[in-house]
Amino acid sequence: MSVNDERIALERVNTPPAQTWNYLRTNDITLTVPAHSRKGDVFFALPRLFEQVECGMGPKVTEWVESQAADAHYVEVRAGVQRAEPIIAEDDTGVMVRAGAEATIVIGASPTEEALDTSASLVRIIAERDTTVHVLEFVAENADQHVHSVGITAGANARIDVRQFFLAAGTTAAGLTVALDGDHARLDLSCRYLGREHDVLDINHVVRQRGRQTRANVRESGVLDGHARKALRATIDLIHGSSGSEGAELESVLVLSDDVTNKTMPVILCDEDDVAGNHGASIGSIAPEQIQYLRDRGLSLEEAEALYQRALFDEALIAAPTAGIRHTVLARATAVLGADVANDLVAGLGLDEAKEV
Amino acid sequence: MQHQLLRVQGLCAGTEDKPILHNIDLTVGAGETHVLMGPNGAGKSTLGHVIMGDPAYMVSTGSIEFDGTDVTDEAADKRSLAGIFLSYQAPVEVPGVPLYSYLRTITQKRPELKMTARKFRARVGEMAEQLDMDSSFLTRELNVGFSGGEKKKIEMLQLLLLKPKLAIMDETDSGLDVDALSVVSRGIEAYRAECDGALLVITHNTRILERLTVDRTHVMVQGRLVAEGPASLIDDIDAHGFEQFEHPQANGSGE
Repeated sequence: MSVNDERIALERVNTPPAQTWNYLRTNDITLTVPAHSRKGDVFFALPRLFEQVECGMGPKVTEWVESQAADAHYVEVRAGVQRAEPIIAEDDTGVMVRAGAEATIVIGASPTEEALDTSASLVRIIAERDTTVHVLEFVAENADQHVHSVGITAGANARIDVRQFFLAAGTTAAGLTVALDGDHARLDLSCRYLGREHDVLDINHVVRQRGRQTRANVRESGVLDGHARKALRATIDLIHGSSGSEGAELESVLVLSDDVTNKTMPVILCDEDDVAGNHGASIGSIAPEQIQYLRDRGLSLEEAEALYQRALFDEALIAAPTAGIRHTVLARATAVLGADVANDLVAGLGLDEAKEV
Repeated sequence: MQHQLLRVQGLCAGTEDKPILHNIDLTVGAGETHVLMGPNGAGKSTLGHVIMGDPAYMVSTGSIEFDGTDVTDEAADKRSLAGIFLSYQAPVEVPGVPLYSYLRTITQKRPELKMTARKFRARVGEMAEQLDMDSSFLTRELNVGFSGGEKKKIEMLQLLLLKPKLAIMDETDSGLDVDALSVVSRGIEAYRAECDGALLVITHNTRILERLTVDRTHVMVQGRLVAEGPASLIDDIDAHGFEQFEHPQANGSGE
């Protein structure tokens, strides 16, 4: 980490467990971020237990967010409790979900009218045995740069589902590591992203399958247009002892412009005999038969392509659990699709009548 | 005959290397129900796709006139907006696009169908109920992971929503069980009742026609229309099959 006035460079972060040739420029991203001095401040830190949670963007980002955030936020969901109210994760948040409990954790910066330089969040979750944890992550706020690092550990029989929506302009660097430590733990991850104009997306997904009979289903899909640059690193790590485990990763990306840079680095690491790891990818433009079907219903080629972008926002708005997140997604939808379409999204989905949280 | 809605004259069409349709003449009046029957590979579906404007097929000679306008060279989206609807035999899966977003977008393209989002949502809900569709379908990806019957219901939902002047039903009955066929038949009935639109039903099965009042029946064999008659021709085909029409043709072949 090098210091330059009030900014520092987080060099080569968001790295996967196993790297490829450096010349491919796919292994990592270097970010220049603000460095506010907090020398002398006394602040609340998370319990030491959370230091053991591996986060997707790596220790440099963890250290930086911890050093920048005000007090860390610690939330505990008691054993056996089904918490209806979502937990809103702030800058540096640790959530302990005790055995048998269920909780929804929402990650997404608060809406701001003015553009921020950098928005950042660090969220660590410990899901004990027999828990059900829903994680909703939204990156759509008005900032030049977005840094989101998430780490989850899952005990035996834990059910983790994660839905990510990366829709923001500028640079989005996001890492997620899920450690399926307990036997029969399960992860379902859905990641939807949009890159336009000169946006940069750098995504790192790591699933550590340590327990026996664990399951991981990772699905990434997105739309890239303009001069957008995307790098996705997706690693399924079938660790020694994870017998009977299965991990699958599938990405489909729609590329709408010849100037897009789309890099994907899927890796399956395997140190156990009785396991199954699968990877699949579909990269390209809309299939001719799909285009024809849409044209047969009255859409031009450009309108068919725009439909895919609208669909991303539709999905995000349906998933958005709070008024604040909806506001943020809607503001971004307005910038991308125009106010008419954005308002239509909200009214059409009945979200204007929905109870605000 | 009613006002001539669709007029196909001397149409020859096929793929780049294979002629399929030969000298087709077909006229459908507004509000009429026509049935196009024929054995497998006769070229029935090809005719449907050529009328819709599928660029996979090239028209070598002849013309297609719709609602008084020559649309032979028009793109499919223009023909759709003019009022032609083709219900697919095997509806295409479109991952990444929820059904609701899709329905809203194709409806908003038609000025005559524009309505507030709230009314639209209510309208779609009513139609889903009419077609025995679970409303959770609306948030699922278009045709992805649906059964054959469910996909046909989604086609019917679009038919009722878009209210086209002409609906070409390309073997909509294929692969459906009795219950799904009943729902699809109800959808077609509702379309006729609500829109008074014209129908060109492509089939080689007479079950789907039981609830329809058919105006004309056409028989296609090896890319040619070889017979035309009243609704009673369907009973004749049901009793005797297509053999009576299957004379060897001098030129060309089926799809």
